[in-house]
Amino acid sequence: MKHTLIRRLPIVDRRTTLRWLFAGLAAGQLAACGELGGEFSWSPPEALTGKGYGTDPDLLDPKTPWPLTLTAAELKTVGALVDLILPADGDWPSASAAGVPLFIDEWVSAPYPSQQEQRGLILPGLAWLDNEARKGGEPSFAEASPEVRRGILDRVAFKDRIPPELETAGRFFSRMRALTIGAYYTTAEGWKEIGYPGNRPASGPYEGPSSEAMSHLRSAVEAMGLTLVSG
Amino acid sequence: MVDQTTEPYDAVVVGSGAGGAMAAYVLTKAGASVLMLEAGRDYSPDEAPMLNLSRDAPLRGTGTPDKPFGFYDAIVDGGWEVPDEPYSKAEGSDFMWFRSRMLGGRTNHWGRNSFRMGPYDFKPYTRDGLGVDWPISYEDISPWYDRTERIVGVYGANLGLENHPDSGPGVLQPPPAMRVWELFLKAGGDALGVPVVPARRAILTRKIDEREACYWASPCGRGCAIGAAFQTTTSLIPWAKATGKLTVQTGAMVYEVMLDASGKASGVRYIDKATGAHREARGRVVILAASTGETARILLNSQPNGRSEGLANSSGQLGRNLMDTVGSNISAYFPALEGRPVYNEDGAMGLHAYIPFWLYREQAAGRLDFPRGYHVEIGGGFREPGLGGYGDLDGYGSDLRRAVRGRYGAQIGLTQRGEMIPNEKSFCTIDPDLKDRHGIPVLKFSFGWSEHELKQVAHFQSAMRDLVDRLGGTILGDVPSPDKAISVGGEIIHEVGTARMGAKASASVVDGFNRTWDVDNLYLTDGSVFASKAHKNPTLTIMALAMRSADHIADRLRMGEL
Ligand SMILES: Cc1cc2nc3c(=O)[nH]c(=O)nc-3n(C[C@H](O)[C@H](O)[C@H](O)COP(=O)(O)OP(=O)(O)OC[C@H]3O[C@@H](n4cnc5c(N)ncnc54)[C@H](O)[C@@H]3O)c2cc1C
Ligand code: SF4
Repeated sequence: MKHTLIRRLPIVDRRTTLRWLFAGLAAGQLAACGELGGEFSWSPPEALTGKGYGTDPDLLDPKTPWPLTLTAAELKTVGALVDLILPADGDWPSASAAGVPLFIDEWVSAPYPSQQEQRGLILPGLAWLDNEARKGGEPSFAEASPEVRRGILDRVAFKDRIPPELETAGRFFSRMRALTIGAYYTTAEGWKEIGYPGNRPASGPYEGPSSEAMSHLRSAVEAMGLTLVSG
Repeated sequence: MVDQTTEPYDAVVVGSGAGGAMAAYVLTKAGASVLMLEAGRDYSPDEAPMLNLSRDAPLRGTGTPDKPFGFYDAIVDGGWEVPDEPYSKAEGSDFMWFRSRMLGGRTNHWGRNSFRMGPYDFKPYTRDGLGVDWPISYEDISPWYDRTERIVGVYGANLGLENHPDSGPGVLQPPPAMRVWELFLKAGGDALGVPVVPARRAILTRKIDEREACYWASPCGRGCAIGAAFQTTTSLIPWAKATGKLTVQTGAMVYEVMLDASGKASGVRYIDKATGAHREARGRVVILAASTGETARILLNSQPNGRSEGLANSSGQLGRNLMDTVGSNISAYFPALEGRPVYNEDGAMGLHAYIPFWLYREQAAGRLDFPRGYHVEIGGGFREPGLGGYGDLDGYGSDLRRAVRGRYGAQIGLTQRGEMIPNEKSFCTIDPDLKDRHGIPVLKFSFGWSEHELKQVAHFQSAMRDLVDRLGGTILGDVPSPDKAISVGGEIIHEVGTARMGAKASASVVDGFNRTWDVDNLYLTDGSVFASKAHKNPTLTIMALAMRSADHIADRLRMGEL
């Protein structure tokens, strides 16, 4: 059931929280030792408080009541990052062209515990990107050359290759990657690319698989030495 | 100050969810006058945002503490926490209590999975010496299952499976066709002797009465304004109203049952939430269906002549035997499904197929190390993309894009739903200190699993691993040990058992007709009466029992017994 999968999402997982706190602390200590250079620190900003949409919002006229909070500079960094994660490709627009940075702003500005925890990772993460760019002699991540940006991401984007001292940065990147994909593929362009036909009503009995889909399935199943019996 | 509400009714029903609405429907149809008291606000299915887009909702519709199952979910003032209505947990014990405060209760957004309990499920003690038997058998309840399914509208197939009873002829609606990923799983299951069969859900695939057939779009959790997915607000409640015999009072938080001098129930006391006024409502019969937890709370808080054990509790069983379904998940990725042709796989959104428990013989022969069954609910396909589930992807750029595309429709979630055996660790009591905003003492939960449930989880994990392997799949993420993988008590939202049914007044709270042993005109028609928690999702059985109980009440009203 779909609901059972969604159900676990909003629950703050104690183990994850502890891991984050611990990792944040460790990186903070490293920063204090000067190992990361600059004045960068992973210590999370104060969490935003404020009102959510409440337990009985108007579902037919959805409103997002909380103010957006990213600075223009942070939005620029987000834009540069999400466009590396999902660049324009053939017919498909880049993440920033699909509006992903605005969504990230909405997300980290939402006054809910899970979003605020993520804000505590994402805001320092954006500063980390700039800090890394400066170490490479660039004014900021957004203004850095493509090579420098890629060089930074290459150290944190591949799970098996993240050095221990970049564990927190790796988590930051992985969170941003998941959010970017989620934000992108929930747009109209994303649906189109992925082929989700949409929440579209039809009449009569459910049509079931197309004949094309069935022949594909048949060969897949037979290739495994199995037999296909239609439902 | 206590206000009195008008004349006595034939029946006062507390709660408008599955159990309350069914009782009210049957009684009003039989000509009885019914007052329904509901703590939540009035709700119309026209509020359901069926075809709205997730991307227009805050956070793209993702769940938050305000709306745990998403912005558009059909829940009002509820979730894992209800504003101003706290509950507590015993030290060292965890329990999650999901409530809603709206007309129709949790039926507005339930998953509609509707599996009948079978002959073994009503006599579990006889079968393996654990737990207790119900005072009724499957044969006793089976006619009411047929009638309930006919009224509700349930799709499914009669398959002649052991302990998964067939419905009567013409009762079921035709099940929707299986989708590619379900057929794929079936091919693997067939090879391993694991059945993948049409599921049963309370969803119309053919129009009946004023309700339309499913139109294969819009997640059912948003509520189904066209009436295809069963909820009491599109069916039982409007039908009961149409008799002219039903009065619905929303915003009415019941807190105790009143007794007259002879010890019979005379009605209930409630708080009118809009004004804070305390009121009384009188009826010849009182029916509590405020849900498993709340019904126990009302009875425990009803303390005639200062009896601290509560009302209808001469057995001492009230609040005990709290059970929930055993839950755990495994999610897997199947390269063979990658790049398959896209078509509309929304269908009826939830299960078209599932895996019923298939090992009763082995269990009876002592070849399994756990005593009770489970079934597997499956999810997958070309679903509406959401915000979750990308945690295991790697890299960035065009390769990542390709990976997302390839992944789409190639993942299947396998969800265990298993039987829990009642145990000493699991119960609820009244918290001696904590009260809600209305000043009503709240419930305190205690909960624990036993090795039976943990071994069952281990079996599920290994059986699913075999199935995934046979289909060339990869399990996503780690598979935690059973004690970590198992759900928190209450998390599956199938809580039952706090006022169990039995054959003897000394060991149970109600008799085989949901009537409390101690008070002849006090009935409970929700999940509180369950004597066991079969792996089958409880709501269909709640409704069949409520219908049977209401028939019995209607007979007694006709005969002037009440
Ligand atoms: C997301 C979700 C999915 C589910 N999926 C399934 C499924 O697929 N299959 C299945 O069988 N079950 C499912 N369930 C469980 C199902 O919803 C419940 O078993 C069912 O609704 C219980 O019916 P009920 O009448 O006991 O309680 P409810 O439906 O909760 O109704 C109780 C009503 O009583 C009211 N009330 C409570 N206290 C008081 C009071 N003191 N005074 C007055 N009124 C009061 C409440 O406000 C509520 O409206 C699901 C639940 C959820 C939340
Ligand atoms: S999938 Fe069908 S039954 Fe479910 S809400 Fe949509 S139309 Fe209603």
